[in-house]
Amino acid sequence: MRLLTHNMLSCNIKGVSNGFPLRLEAEKWVEKEVELNADFLRGIFPKIEWKALAGAARALGYNELPDEADASMLDADDFLRRFHHALLELHVEEGALVCPETGRRFPINKGIPNMLLHEDEV
Amino acid sequence: MVLSVLRVARYFHEVLEVSIHPLDAKKFCSKEVLQVSPSIGFLVPIYTYSMSTSQSLICVQGFHSGTSLSSINSNGKPESKESMSSCEDRTCSLSVQSTPDIEKKYVHRVYDAIAPHFSATRFAKWPKVAEFLNSLRPGSIILDAGCGNGKYLGFNPNCFDIGCDISPHLIDICARRGHEVMVADAVNLPYRDNFGDAAISIAVLHHLSTEMRRRKAIEELIRAVGKGGLVLITVWAREQEDKSLLTKWTPLCHKYDEEWISPSSSPLRNSSTMKLESIPEADENCHRGAKESNHVHNQTTEDEQESKDAAVVASVSPGISEDCLSTSIDQNEAQQEYFVPWHLPYHRAEISGASASALASGLAKKDDKKGAMVYNRYYHVFVEGELQSLVSGIDNAVIVDQFYDKSNWCIVLEKL
Repeated sequence: MRLLTHNMLSCNIKGVSNGFPLRLEAEKWVEKEVELNADFLRGIFPKIEWKALAGAARALGYNELPDEADASMLDADDFLRRFHHALLELHVEEGALVCPETGRRFPINKGIPNMLLHEDEV
Repeated sequence: MVLSVLRVARYFHEVLEVSIHPLDAKKFCSKEVLQVSPSIGFLVPIYTYSMSTSQSLICVQGFHSGTSLSSINSNGKPESKESMSSCEDRTCSLSVQSTPDIEKKYVHRVYDAIAPHFSATRFAKWPKVAEFLNSLRPGSIILDAGCGNGKYLGFNPNCFDIGCDISPHLIDICARRGHEVMVADAVNLPYRDNFGDAAISIAVLHHLSTEMRRRKAIEELIRAVGKGGLVLITVWAREQEDKSLLTKWTPLCHKYDEEWISPSSSPLRNSSTMKLESIPEADENCHRGAKESNHVHNQTTEDEQESKDAAVVASVSPGISEDCLSTSIDQNEAQQEYFVPWHLPYHRAEISGASASALASGLAKKDDKKGAMVYNRYYHVFVEGELQSLVSGIDNAVIVDQFYDKSNWCIVLEKL
């Protein structure tokens, strides 16, 4: 699971209003290099919840993202590289995503989050 | 003569009482299946009928899942749905996300059992889907809900795809190919609003067994994309180009009503009313007259829910034994519920290891002539205009394209 995906995921248990962002507990993660695409990064930036991204990156030991970011920073190569690295090159293999409101854990195995709810959660 | 026992435990909806003429009672299908929700803690009413003069058929108004409740008027015809709308808003969303038994058994388990073989056969890209994906702006985030083996993930190299599917085995296959995927339910996407630029639902909605679930899945797709985002949906059409295909499908008859009600749940089931015809094998026809099938079809597709601790629901199929007519498929225009077989070759079955337990649990049969296990997949095939009708109540999206392509009804929506 890349942090781009993490930035989209939210707890969908019935009645939960504060299900985003899910807290990332990573037991195993890997780095996989992929080519940087500045246009893509600039295009996706407006959708990204920056604090969630920075928090998830920190959970993986990557502290290079600023606490806050705005679009003007996208002109700087260095920022783009860090943004790119956090968003697309960090893959969580094993761990869990934890709902901030209920504490419910959604497991991540072999890089795949399982977001299915139990019967009583729908 | 059936003595009616009407036992209604705590319930939170109004009860609609309908008086019926006792002579009509025999024909009624009074199947109400309510899901017991332990957290809410109410019990399931039991509905039976009686031949006494002033008996009532009690239907609970506004239960979950079902869009059309089977309230029966004195002519034995289902009541209109208008009275249901208020309750639907309030409470039916409770259960619309709960997976009905028929989907668990004839969609989820089957796809998990056949995943590798299924995946091996899914490679041809439909031109219309390819066209849609290629038309998207570079850098788009595309959400594929019900991505299966990931056939369309990564199709447009300029976009970023995120897929989800209910089948862990199919998702494993996607992940091994390096795609960004997760196990999730299309009826309840774990996505925050407005993130995607586009979404696709290719051959997915026809596996959802109620109108409410199908509509909810569409609403989820729309919710997940941003303003201006496009959603492509394709579903199997009732109107197949190759009409002979329908002869290979099993129209769902009363036998399969039992699949909608959990077999484990009925100590009090009134067996005298549950006399079901033994249904012939898939190759043969089992049909009812169009009128009856319409009635029961509405009953079964809209009212089914698993009931775990429930006492029971008396299920009476209208005139099933006497009136189960054999008509040809063409005459059975109303039929939209089918089991479609999947033949899993023996050698494949051994590889997946699923065969023994599948046979034991009745999930699959052996076809020695074809050397394959036969699994049934549940389909609600769509008729012309049905997709449009499903989205007609959705006020934050408009139809921007609609077409029929290779036996599929297709629609493109744009989020407002």
